[in-house]
This record gives sequence, C-alpha cells and structure tokens, in this order.
Amino acid sequence: MTPPPQRPASTTSPWSWARVIYAVFALTAFCFPGGMVDWLDERNASGWLAAPLALARGVDAASAAVGAKRVGEGLRKWFAQAVGESDT
Amino acid sequence: MLFPTIDFALFFAFSFALVWALNSHNTLKKVVLLALSLAFYASWNWRFLLLLLASGAISYFVGLYVDAGARRPFRRLALGLGVALDLGILAYFKYLDFFIAQVLTLAHALGLNPSIDFVNVTLPVAISFLTFHAISYVVDVYRGRLAPSRSPLDIVLYISFFPHLVAGPIVRAHEFLPQLASPRRAGDFSFSENMLLILGGLFKKMVIANYLAVRFVDPVFTDPSQFSRFDLIVAVYAYAIQIYADFSAYTDIAIGVAALLGYRFPQNFNQPYRALGIGDFWRRWHMTLSNWLRDYLYIPLGGNRHGALATARNLMLTMLLGGLWHGANWTFLIWGAMHGGALVVDHAWRRSAAFARFGAGPIARVVDWAVTFHFVCFAWLFFRSPSLDAATQFLAGVWSDNGAPNTMPMVVLPLIACGALTQMVPPQTRGAIGAVLDNRGPLLQTAFGFALLYAIIVMAPSASAPFIYFQF
Repeated sequence: MTPPPQRPASTTSPWSWARVIYAVFALTAFCFPGGMVDWLDERNASGWLAAPLALARGVDAASAAVGAKRVGEGLRKWFAQAVGESDT
Repeated sequence: MLFPTIDFALFFAFSFALVWALNSHNTLKKVVLLALSLAFYASWNWRFLLLLLASGAISYFVGLYVDAGARRPFRRLALGLGVALDLGILAYFKYLDFFIAQVLTLAHALGLNPSIDFVNVTLPVAISFLTFHAISYVVDVYRGRLAPSRSPLDIVLYISFFPHLVAGPIVRAHEFLPQLASPRRAGDFSFSENMLLILGGLFKKMVIANYLAVRFVDPVFTDPSQFSRFDLIVAVYAYAIQIYADFSAYTDIAIGVAALLGYRFPQNFNQPYRALGIGDFWRRWHMTLSNWLRDYLYIPLGGNRHGALATARNLMLTMLLGGLWHGANWTFLIWGAMHGGALVVDHAWRRSAAFARFGAGPIARVVDWAVTFHFVCFAWLFFRSPSLDAATQFLAGVWSDNGAPNTMPMVVLPLIACGALTQMVPPQTRGAIGAVLDNRGPLLQTAFGFALLYAIIVMAPSASAPFIYFQF
C-alpha cells in the first residue's frame, strides 16, 4: 500500500484549513459586499437579523470607502459587456 | 440550499468548524452530521424528512435480517421485500402519474373511459439518489460484502449525508460506512487539491453551464421552431457541454466538500467526451451510476454469462431502466434505449474479427471517438427535450431549415471550447498544483483560492440555471 504523500504539518490540520476557508470567504464578502447585504435583507422581515445586517452594511461601507466594491462591480459589468450580456 | 449560494457557503462554514471540533467524539460528531444533513434536506421541504427516515429504517431492519452471516430463513424474501419497499416509494412519487397517463392513453385508444385519478404528489428532492443508496446497503449486506450495521445512526447518516444527498455521487455502503467507524484524519486529504476541485466545480457551474443554459440552450429547446438549423445544431453540442459542466460540477463540489469534512467519495467523471466507444463512455460518465446499474441490475440479470442474445437483452433492459431512473418521460426511455442499443452494437463490434484487425489503428481510433461523441450528443437531444413532440419538432427544424436568422451569441463558442478543454487537461494536473500549494502554506492557499473565487464571481452571469440533476 502506498503511504499518503508527506505534507507540511501546517496544511494537515483542519484548523489551518479553517483559516484559509474563512479568509477566502471574508475577502470575497469584502470585495462583493452587495450579495451579503441583499441576502440578509431578504431574510430580515421580522428584524431578527438586524445585527448581522448592520455589520454587513458596515463592511459594504468600508469596501466602498477603499474602492474594493467599485472594482468588483466594475469588473463584473465590464465582463458582462464583453460577452454581450446586456441585462446586467 | 444549492451549492453555489450564500446559504450553502454559510452552512458549510458553520458545519466545517462544528464537525472538526467534535472529531474526537465520533458518535456525537455523527449525530451532529445527521442533524446538519436533515437540516440541509429540510431546507427544500421538511415534510419529506419522514421519507428519508423511513428509508433509513427500512434499510436498517432489512440489513439486520438479511445478514449473510446469520443464515436466517427467508433471507431472499426479506431482501426482496426491502428492495420492493424502497422501489415502491420511488414508484409512487416519481412514476405513478406517468403510469396512469399511459393506462389512460391506452384505454382511450381502445374506446374505454376508466375513471382513474392522478395522484399529483410533489416529487421529493433526491428521491432517486437516496433509493439507490438504500438498495446498495441491503444488497451488499445480503451478498456478504458488508457486515450489517448495528447503528441506525450510521445507516441514516449514510443515506442522508448532505454532500451526496441531492445529486450524488452514488456512494456505496461498503465505501462509506467504514469511514464512520472512527475519527477522521485531515492528513489523509490534500486541502489544496480539494479546494481546487470545489473552485473548478464552481467555475464549471457558474460560468460555463449557466451561460450556456441561460443565453442559448434553454431558449432554443423551449421553442426550437424560432431558431435556424445552425442554431439548433450548435445548441445540441452546447447542451452536451452544459450537462457535463453542470453535473460534473455538482459532484466535484460534493466530493471536495466531503473531503474537507474528512470523508472520501468515489470519482464520478473521467473526461467522458474522450471516450472511444459507448462502453468506454459509460466507464467515464456518471461512473457511480454505471457501476450501480452494473452491480445491482446488469449482473443479477445474467450479465454476459448466457450468450450474445441474453447479453443484448440485459444491456437493453439495464439502459432502459437507467433512462427511466432519470425521469418519468418517454424522452428518457428513448435516450436509455438509444444507449442500450449502442452498447449492444459496441459490445458485438469489440468482440468481432474486424475490430481485432482494424480497430487499434490511429484512424480507427479517430473514427471511434467521432462516432461515439456525435452519437452521445444526438442522444442528449432526447434527454433535454421536454417531450417527445418537442424532440420531433427539434429534429424537423434540423431537417428542413426554416430560414430564421442565426442568433447564437458569440460567447457560446468560447464556452464550448472551454468545456472541450476540460476533457484534455491531464487528470493529474489538479493533484500536482494541489501538492505545490500544500507545500507553500496557508498564505498562498488563501491568495490562490481568493483569486480564483474572485474571477468566478466576476465572470458569472447575473441569471442562473438550476442544477440539471437536481430534478432527478
């Protein structure tokens, strides 16, 4: 039986995996904050998501302030136009 | 809660931490995994949770009784009863209305007017997949391939484990149950390779499949009479790429998610459009279904053990039922019959003297590939068409051009090329890149994962099509 390939200890712990997964999610949410705000807004009819929604709006504002949101939206628009998708 | 959604991203982020935090408490972890899987299923329709639990209960009790080591009386009868119960549930929800419609059509043709009402029930999500999982368990126990599980928790978790629950891959009980016996080791998996598998799946679904579906394939198949012959022909090839990108994406994400939770699933696709022959195609396309049909249907029917005629009959029956498994519609039956017929021809051809003499040369291989690929694409036309009438209308449009202008968007050809490229990349590429990233550590893994996800979101169209195999 072939032994599994040796990997650095830093990548064989689920907690090192967790760091990467959550970092990727957090960076993506920061660069495309609109999706999270809309998602929370749609589910906040009774107000029970007010705190996470406020946090998401804060992230949205911070993303807009540093220009990350504009770059993400601009690239999406540019790509949609490049492939002829007119409804975005 | 489909994979490429914020709902699932949050669900996975929560599940991941919880499952690994409980890894050293295996029983508690399995209880939590089951609760997560039931919550995942309930996100579509909580009323069908009972169905899931009933399927688990049938499998558990039948498994205990039919244990090959126990030599109880009427084992075969108990197995038959268990399988009939599983298939009965499937038949009631999926096929009863189709069957009633055929009876009524036949009766009307004979001048009769029976009063039979349709049952009109909602089709439970994943019912075809969970039925095949349940049957796999009891048959494997009956055959002595697997010891019956004394843990109802393990059985229900095997059937309902959320990564494979909705659209596979079909994981066999003997592959999965032993993995529930002990805590999982993250070191047995390459994080980066599985991250790439998931991100590759997201790209195939969110970019290739969604663009092809929304911009071209769906409109063409909805009303083929409005499109030119050129559009119709390209739409068939576009659908071939779309269904591959869509379904292989789902199973790639499922395999990757399961691996990140510490569970290994079998491979489900192996560059199917490279196949040389229909037999080879079915060894590369939806491999877990092919293996299931082979082991639980084709071989019990007699396989190839009783001569050419019986082999042909068994191949036809297997593929007809495989077609019907996809849905209660004549289009799926025709698709299955076409593949069954092609397998019979393929089987005979590969055992002929002519194949032994001419079949191995480079020209023969090119012809083999071209015939296989175009046959598979042609059969997809029936698979995709909503009805037999629609398929006939589509074919009529190909046969006699209606003079409509060509409307194929320019993005379709690069997407088809992109889909074709997925068939040519050496299979070991992902593993090699994964190994490099694993060795470079979390910072590069984060940068790489984020860059790929960013690119996918930039490229994804605003509209999205549901997963094709979600409906099965």
